[in-house]
Amino acid sequence: MLKAMVKRELTTLMRRRRMMALQCGLVALFAVLVAIRWPTDARMALTGSRSQQVFQLFGYGLLATLLLIMPVFPATSIVREKKQGTLALLLNTPLGPWRIFFGKLTAVLALSGIILVMSLPAASACYAMGGLSLYDDIAKVYQVLIVAALEYAVLGLLVSTYSNSIDSAVRLTYGLVLGLSVMTLGPHYFFQGTKGYLAEIGDVLYSLSPFAAMMSLTGVGDVGSKGLITKTELLGRFTVTSLIVSVIASIWSVSRLNHTIFDQARSQGTISDDQTQSVRFFRRLFFLVDPQRRSSNISSFANPITVKEFRCRRFGRLHWLLRLVAICAVLSLGLTYATTAGTFDWGVETIGGIMVVMQVALLALITPSLSAGLLSSERESRGWQLLQTTPMSITRIVWGKLLSVILPLMLILCATLPGYVVMVYIEPGMKLQVERVIICLAAMAVFAMLLSAAVGSLFKRTAAATAAAYGALLSICALPLLVWLGRDAPFGHKTVEAALSVNPIAAALSVIRMPGFQDYSLIPANWWFLGIGSITSLLILLAQTYRISRPQ
Amino acid sequence: MTTDQPRKTATDIPVVVLEHLTKQYGSFTALNDLTLTLNAGQILGLIGPNGAGKTTAIKILVGLIRPTSGTAKIDGVDCVSDSARIKRLVGYMPDTFGSYDNMRVREYLDFFGATFGIAPRARAKRIGEVMETTGTEYMKDRFVESLSHGMQQRVGLARTLLHDPKVLILDEPVNGLDPQARIEMRDLLIQLAKRGKTLLVTSHILPELTRICDRVAIMTHGKLRAFGTVEEIGRQVSQQRTIESHLVSADQVSIAANIIRQAIEPGADVVEAPAEAIVRFRTARPESELGEVLAQLIQKGIRVTQFREVQTDLEEAFMSFTRPQQGIVATPVPAGGQTHA
Repeated sequence: MLKAMVKRELTTLMRRRRMMALQCGLVALFAVLVAIRWPTDARMALTGSRSQQVFQLFGYGLLATLLLIMPVFPATSIVREKKQGTLALLLNTPLGPWRIFFGKLTAVLALSGIILVMSLPAASACYAMGGLSLYDDIAKVYQVLIVAALEYAVLGLLVSTYSNSIDSAVRLTYGLVLGLSVMTLGPHYFFQGTKGYLAEIGDVLYSLSPFAAMMSLTGVGDVGSKGLITKTELLGRFTVTSLIVSVIASIWSVSRLNHTIFDQARSQGTISDDQTQSVRFFRRLFFLVDPQRRSSNISSFANPITVKEFRCRRFGRLHWLLRLVAICAVLSLGLTYATTAGTFDWGVETIGGIMVVMQVALLALITPSLSAGLLSSERESRGWQLLQTTPMSITRIVWGKLLSVILPLMLILCATLPGYVVMVYIEPGMKLQVERVIICLAAMAVFAMLLSAAVGSLFKRTAAATAAAYGALLSICALPLLVWLGRDAPFGHKTVEAALSVNPIAAALSVIRMPGFQDYSLIPANWWFLGIGSITSLLILLAQTYRISRPQ
Repeated sequence: MTTDQPRKTATDIPVVVLEHLTKQYGSFTALNDLTLTLNAGQILGLIGPNGAGKTTAIKILVGLIRPTSGTAKIDGVDCVSDSARIKRLVGYMPDTFGSYDNMRVREYLDFFGATFGIAPRARAKRIGEVMETTGTEYMKDRFVESLSHGMQQRVGLARTLLHDPKVLILDEPVNGLDPQARIEMRDLLIQLAKRGKTLLVTSHILPELTRICDRVAIMTHGKLRAFGTVEEIGRQVSQQRTIESHLVSADQVSIAANIIRQAIEPGADVVEAPAEAIVRFRTARPESELGEVLAQLIQKGIRVTQFREVQTDLEEAFMSFTRPQQGIVATPVPAGGQTHA
């Protein structure tokens, strides 16, 4: 019975044309990674440094590919069945929740397995170049990849059992993957080598990241170590923590796969205005802007599309944004104060770096989720057809939609301004740097918004649009950092600088003189890239909007 | 409201005029030379099997599709070249609801009112009016995605009415509704027609159309097969009328049947139903000759309480047009020889 479940899942996944294109693309990418450093003459370095350099790059590339591609499949797996009504049919069969869960998990893991198997020829080529150990290097790298695939597949399935819409499942899963793999590196970077509970927390979080385990294997320990060497057995810790997380999440997911998943009353549309005064008071206190209040009519001056977009969002509603902004503002001010008061000996550049990373992470996480589905969600819900029968012009619709993304992004950008102001007050010489950083971040926000909207407009389904937008943005943000990881070898200064010049994060970090990025001059090349990219994306978005809105 | 009692609000002013409307997708013809006219205040039922071209015709009218040739006009405004004005003239309710997440019914209506540029104060008043008309007031704070199908259909209709359009184009408005909701929707549509709205309705539930429509158009394979009142279409299908003669006494049923057999064409179908005291027969004779049959019955002492034509069911008509292999040849000529309501 399990076999039937796996077969059905795999058939659904593999029969798509996009999957074929994806597999061909991956094979080509892996081949290129090896071909870059394949020996071109008869001489061989006996140390095997060349193959080790390639393998470093290959390991990170493979991990990044896996994390970019894989989460969308488990994230949509259960919620899609729930929406289509087939989950109820499955639960009515003698399969049982465990078989359904493991059927889905096996299918996702099989897909990850296919990706990993496709990388084997490239890994074999690295091994053939010499200097690599089959067990200590290659097998362990694949161990990290397999464990990471298992953990994120299980987490994706868990998210899927809780989600009510496909795109929210995709958003949440990508957020979780980004948080667990990248954000967990942050505390360790800043608190390593120190003593105290913050350093311990940073250490624990660090072991959750597959990137940390990969760094310890490929010998790129200096990326976030500031020259310090850790003796922690990161591979073992990562494997154990990931397996524990996987087991807990599996049991949790299976416990959700029963009638209770459907046993939800339809919302009766409770309104705070109809509640008692005390309830109203507490809601106002808790939410600041109560999402359950009875909304007023859309003003004549407002773009109805913008208001509609805000009202349709669950996460994007004003009370969430205000909280986010408040957290950012408090954190940035706190960090600046801590440095000034001498609590941390980080220097203004490092504080600036933290603020930039914090803001960039928020932008990378929020922007695709807000703007990828601008068109596809309308097409999916059939709202586009209704909009077409209203007298609103295409440009007003597009502008209204973009405005609904611009306003939250502006709030996020403004959130760290107090921190920057304090920074300039402490170090007036940094005024120009701070101004440039703010321009970099604003340019990134615009670019991320337009890129996500343009990529998303090419898809009919919001989940596919969201996944593709995250993939496109994270590729531009993450892939140049892979080149940066090999900044001394195999890549030279010029190559790294050229690669980083497309990366808005690197540009902001280089301007603020963050250690590791201070040697690269990325401005104004990065601004040119973002400008041209933004205009191109806007043109694609307009063309796509025009295409779908004109009479057939 | 039935077709026997045409509404007094219907006028002779043509509002929807389609002339030789054709839509081709490559070699496939979705709509083939459709010509019909609908007058103000009338309800037109557009029926046909899946792929008949109903939705294509509707989408051309609301400006979502461009025709390959022919013209479509609503209130004198060309649907292709002046789509901006058409949007204000027409209220379109597609067969899918077009829901938005996390949006309450009132917010939903407020949004669509705003897209039509209705000022906030007037919009609030108008929302109240359409909610009252469609009976959706009690669900104003509910989230649209949490509504049942019947509720969503009502909210969809409320949305369609927001900008007070002259013509309502409703694609399958009663599809998926329970009998109670269907009756309510039917009454609502009749009420709207009484208020002077012109309605174009598609439906698969034919008895519903029989009850509410002034005119019915049957389409198959992109062509208009019949157009007219339900009675006209029924007559065109059978070419023969079914007449029932209700008698006072069951004893006279056989005698009456014999008289009828002699009076009408030889071999015609005459059925005796003594339990009901009815003689039922089918004839191709015109109305003037049928008077003769009644006169003979009375002359020969048969006590007749009713002598009437039994209407051909719309469902029967629909089946005969959509299944020509069953012996009744579908004709491209509309009922009554014209396509004007």
